[in-house]
Amino acid sequence: MANALTFNMRLLAHHELQGFGGIGEGMALQQTRDGRRILWLAHEGAPKNFTGVDVTDPRAPRVIVQTDLPHAKMRSNSLDVTGDVMAVAYQTSTAGLKPAGFDLFDISHPEQPKRISHFDASGAHSRGAHQVWFVDGEFVHMSCGADDFQPRHPEDDQIYRIVDVRDPARPVEAGRWWLPGTREGDAAPAPARLDPRIATGYRAHNTNVFPERPDRAYVGYIDGGAVILDIADKARPKVVGMWNHSPPFNGFTHTVLPLFGRKLLVVSDECVRDDGIDWPRLVWVVDGRNERNPVPISTFPAPPVEAFIKRGGRFGAHNLHENQPGPTSFRSETIIVGTFFNAGVRAYDIANPYQPQEIAYYVPEAPKLSRAGAIQLNDVYVDEKRIVYTVDRHAGGLYILEMTV
Amino acid sequence: MKRDSPGAARDPLAGRIPIILITGFLGSGKTTLLGKLLRHPGMDRAAVVINELGDVAIDHQLMATSSEQMTLLGNGCLCCTVRTDLQETLREMFIRRRAGEVIDFDRVFVETTGLADPVPVLHSFQSDGLLGAQYRLDGVVTVVDAVNGMGQLDTMPEAVKQAAVADRIVLSKTDLAAPEVTRELISRLKTLNPYVSITPAIQGEIDPALLVNLGPGSAKALPAELSRWLGDGNTYLGKKLRGNHDAAIHTFSLRFEHPFTWDSLNAALQTLTALRGPDLLRVKGIVNVEGESGPVILQAAQHVIHPPITLESWRDADRSTRIVFIVRNIARESVESLFRAVGALAARS
Repeated sequence: MANALTFNMRLLAHHELQGFGGIGEGMALQQTRDGRRILWLAHEGAPKNFTGVDVTDPRAPRVIVQTDLPHAKMRSNSLDVTGDVMAVAYQTSTAGLKPAGFDLFDISHPEQPKRISHFDASGAHSRGAHQVWFVDGEFVHMSCGADDFQPRHPEDDQIYRIVDVRDPARPVEAGRWWLPGTREGDAAPAPARLDPRIATGYRAHNTNVFPERPDRAYVGYIDGGAVILDIADKARPKVVGMWNHSPPFNGFTHTVLPLFGRKLLVVSDECVRDDGIDWPRLVWVVDGRNERNPVPISTFPAPPVEAFIKRGGRFGAHNLHENQPGPTSFRSETIIVGTFFNAGVRAYDIANPYQPQEIAYYVPEAPKLSRAGAIQLNDVYVDEKRIVYTVDRHAGGLYILEMTV
Repeated sequence: MKRDSPGAARDPLAGRIPIILITGFLGSGKTTLLGKLLRHPGMDRAAVVINELGDVAIDHQLMATSSEQMTLLGNGCLCCTVRTDLQETLREMFIRRRAGEVIDFDRVFVETTGLADPVPVLHSFQSDGLLGAQYRLDGVVTVVDAVNGMGQLDTMPEAVKQAAVADRIVLSKTDLAAPEVTRELISRLKTLNPYVSITPAIQGEIDPALLVNLGPGSAKALPAELSRWLGDGNTYLGKKLRGNHDAAIHTFSLRFEHPFTWDSLNAALQTLTALRGPDLLRVKGIVNVEGESGPVILQAAQHVIHPPITLESWRDADRSTRIVFIVRNIARESVESLFRAVGALAARS
């Protein structure tokens, strides 16, 4: 890694995942009953479904299982783990294909994941699930199409859906919400589209619900901005507050991460175009004292634009480490870690929320065979020992880093 | 609702790039030392800021890449020359590091000019917020010439200051000086600065590892690191010395067993800096402040007090406050009584 850029992060190990080093945005760290730590990764695209990596010794990661998808016109992209149960999303490349929805797996024997059930979300207008959030063992919160949901615009097909999996063998829908006006037949008018050069649609992306506020869902609604929902009654989610920077900004709100102790929200965009076409895609700090009126107060200082914008592939914000509630997750209300595609993985100190500071980064050199010609770090998970696991979108696989700041 | 993991906040020291100031009087051998350092294999990922590239006689064969101001040497060391001012140079270096235009240096050696009074440089590190966000002062290394050092200490106040504020003194030309001259010089330096470590270096040959980690580098700093920084155990020589040539500038260490409150510490420091700021060449110490999880790192130069940093925990039984003062014309007793008086006032209030 002679050509990596580093600041307060040290590479412990790099694993190319047996030649299938393109990983999506599903990462979860299981603590097994026999004391091992298994990192589960959802692949970005076919042919692989998910990979389990034993990271008990983070300096010597070892692939223990790697599975295949049933066909090439689909991908998993996202997964989440509670205890010994893993939810894996399935999204098809076009509407109407199967399998679309999610699977639940029993991973108590990580080498042999056993499918428990499948939640079918296929339909004439559905591409299935893009993202799943499953941290309480009871409900899967996801961005997903539905058989009975016909969007007015084909890009608005994935809505927020809640699925009750308390009986994991029989998942049943508990509720759903979509931006009014996006469904065929809605009384509300259709939302105005963003500039076609950067528009990506009004649909759900990350759908986070934390044990501190089981009655709230924090949803990134892509071109619809950040949405806070009251889900005390899961059958009837209600909007509490919304904040959207676009227009004039370029849309694609991805993650809404609440910091409950500080009444802040950290909101990330996702860059989805190469070579800076959709720049700026940023991370925002939003004052959340009044849920009904979220107010942006700062953005994370962007990596040097001239250095990265034409370096190859995407450049801009994407996933954040989301303070997952499990025993293996780093939780901080002042240090936020995110991935920025060709600008690597970066950590920020927001002790002063008006002046976030960049405190660490690691930008690996371009992976061999990467079609972007540069690293494209896609997702990140930080464990309770401050070990940073981050993945490349195309070829580089898994990078394990130690944060020294 | 507090739900942070342990260690979820930023380490106030570990994330900042250490800066080591290298001072030394004209002809002390500082340039020879820097020239050797630049070529040392242990200097990969180090940056060196010097005044004039010509001075250190870098051969073109040694250069990997070069720009007007920054030169990458074959061993991986980045050599930078000061164009306008030091602060500007250090900021530009960090910006270029971030953009991937220069190596990811993880420490910076800064040469000060031979005539320079090092105190204003220390002062500028503590008062420049932008610089403080990315860098921290690790310590001061002073090169003293064994042959001419005594004469310079006699005639040049800056030379005295340079020796007094040092965390480490590198003694050069010991091969050329008579052994008794060297011994006498060491005694004099120890009187002036009883808390300093002195290392000889002939022809600038020194392991760069000896010139780093002079100050605490992490909130998890161990007692041994703090003791080394404060020079505990280096004082044995000073006690037996006859006479004191440099009565104006001297160094002493105070110890307080009773914890301070933030208010009492503040009051003592404010009073001291307000009354005697220009004569406080350097103050460094660890302070026991009531209610804090660990020792508080204190650093000051002249009237500027560096924002105090609390370490994670006390890691040994000794929880006393220890502060080293390097001062000009201030009696130890007056500082001590000031600290005791405000401490007592605070205890009563």
